[in-house]
Amino acid sequence: MSNPTETDAAQERTAAPPTPPRPAEWWRSARRQWAAAAVLAAAACYAPFQLVPFHVFQLTMVLVYAVALLGLNLLVGHAGQISLGHGAFFAVGAYTAAILFDRWALPYPLTLPVAAGAAFLLGLAFGVPAMRLRGLYLALVTLAIAIFLVPLLKRFEELTGGSMGLTLAKPAPPAWSGLAEDQWLYFLTLVVAVAAFLLCVGLLRSRVGRALHAIRDNEGAAEVMGVRLSVHKTLAFAWSAMFAGTAGCLYTWVIGFVSPDSFTVNLSITLLAGLVVGGLGSLSGPVLGGLFVMFVPGIAQDINDAAPGVIFGLLIIAVMYVAPTGLAGLAGRLLRKIPRKE
Amino acid sequence: MTHLVVKDLTAGYGDARVLHGVGLTVGEGEICAILGPNGAGKTTLLRALSGMIRARGTVTLGGADLTGHPPDTLARQGVAHVPEGRGTFMPLTVEENLRLGAYVRRRGPELEADLDRIHGYFPVLKTRLKQAAGSLSGGEQQMLAIGRALMSRPRLLLLDEPSLGLAPLVTRELFRIVQAINAEERTTVVVVEQNAHLALGIAQQAHVLETGRIVLSGTAEEIRADEQVAQSYLGYRV
Ligand SMILES: Nc1ncnc2c1ncn2[C@@H]1O[C@H](COP(=O)(O)OP(=O)(O)OP(=O)(O)O)[C@@H](O)[C@H]1O
Ligand SMILES: [Mg+2]
Repeated sequence: MSNPTETDAAQERTAAPPTPPRPAEWWRSARRQWAAAAVLAAAACYAPFQLVPFHVFQLTMVLVYAVALLGLNLLVGHAGQISLGHGAFFAVGAYTAAILFDRWALPYPLTLPVAAGAAFLLGLAFGVPAMRLRGLYLALVTLAIAIFLVPLLKRFEELTGGSMGLTLAKPAPPAWSGLAEDQWLYFLTLVVAVAAFLLCVGLLRSRVGRALHAIRDNEGAAEVMGVRLSVHKTLAFAWSAMFAGTAGCLYTWVIGFVSPDSFTVNLSITLLAGLVVGGLGSLSGPVLGGLFVMFVPGIAQDINDAAPGVIFGLLIIAVMYVAPTGLAGLAGRLLRKIPRKE
Repeated sequence: MTHLVVKDLTAGYGDARVLHGVGLTVGEGEICAILGPNGAGKTTLLRALSGMIRARGTVTLGGADLTGHPPDTLARQGVAHVPEGRGTFMPLTVEENLRLGAYVRRRGPELEADLDRIHGYFPVLKTRLKQAAGSLSGGEQQMLAIGRALMSRPRLLLLDEPSLGLAPLVTRELFRIVQAINAEERTTVVVVEQNAHLALGIAQQAHVLETGRIVLSGTAEEIRADEQVAQSYLGYRV
């Protein structure tokens, strides 16, 4: 969580008078970040031993969605593109894992790289239109991917199990671990999520990240600075799809069941909404967005069983009204209100 | 010794042709000013030179053919373009903007030296490194844009109306720095400028562009002495 509110901070800086950075301040903030990370890590390892299995499962699913949102954030928040079809890449990861498991009895750890790779390649293929299209046009094409997918999955019944889907055994906890199944799945997911998070941070800090930000902020200027637009726009799609595919694979591990109706257009739209509500372009946004994707549809259902969609929509509007830069931005603002000891 | 050679350059947007056979040469390490009324195609000329738009004709820099290459290739060939409106990456910090300038050079120990070099020309940037570039004043953003272009160690620097929106004092300071950069680094400069006084003050030669054609070329003194130019761009009669 090195910088939870990049965009928010940028706005803040716009208003604030220039303050040259002080090394002491930087050191203090870096120390605070490490402390926060350590507390978070401890809590993440402690939680599954305190919660009932169903809550452990819910927490696991939050992490699964967070991984998908990490990818979507890369594309939307950092590369400035849009995708209304990320549920499709998620589904490709999920189905790749399920089919490998089901047909070839591949050991489950091996399904992860294959699922990620398949989604990466598909992302690369769909990144080509992204090179030429932008804004609403790109949104429409990506939406078409999501719409296209469900009938396609139903069509290839021998492989995908058609509308019935595929039911699989979940990865069993090894005896040495002494963990229950839900705890084992949680830690598997946690390890993958942390690795995905670090990979994403590394990517953003590298030359690639700089190129993506430049394209997002000023395409023409990026181009004359030597950034290859076509390469980076396509790769942003592919990277992003890879994270979504990884999340899809985790989904298969955790749920043990895939069916076309789990991956409708609704999923894609919920993912995008979750990211925007969580905080676009921030590091904590995907985690907050994961919470949103996991819990808010259920809450909406609880409030009004007849029209969950209406409540869901109203909740999004309410959050965006209170926190226009997403929950990450709101959290950053609240944290800054807490007086600090000197 | 001629460095940049442009011959019979035509370019435009879609079906609309804006440049109709522009030709000019600039000597190595020289400053060349492009004057002309609004809509003459000055910005279009620079865009064609940096590859932002497709152009026909021939462009060579130090003997190497640059015609028809995409902008990222030209950036690697040493062409740096400070676009109209500065092209600042607003949400990024000043330092990130500057580092992006060196994007084509990959990393290296010289990068830090280059940052120091830029701070030498523009001391104000050094005090703003961690600030969002969008929060700089217009003049500071222009300095940042030029500093960023220098980070690529260009052989050819294209400046599009650096004075746009700046106070006269800041503009003069900026031109003094451009002159210093040109003198110290022997960078060839093509500058498009409305403020003909200042541009002719630092340029060795100048061209007047009207409706996509060069209608007058000469040394800075010759152009300054031209009656037509004096009336149109300098605001007085000779
Ligand atoms: N992106 C564009 N798409 C279509 N036409 C354009 C575009 N940019 C410029 N033009 C047209 O090209 C012509 C030349 O424009 P250009 O920007 O090169 O003029 P200029 O000499 O730089 O003018 P100014 O001094 O106002 O900046 C104008 O007629 C303009 O309408
Ligand atoms: Mg112009």
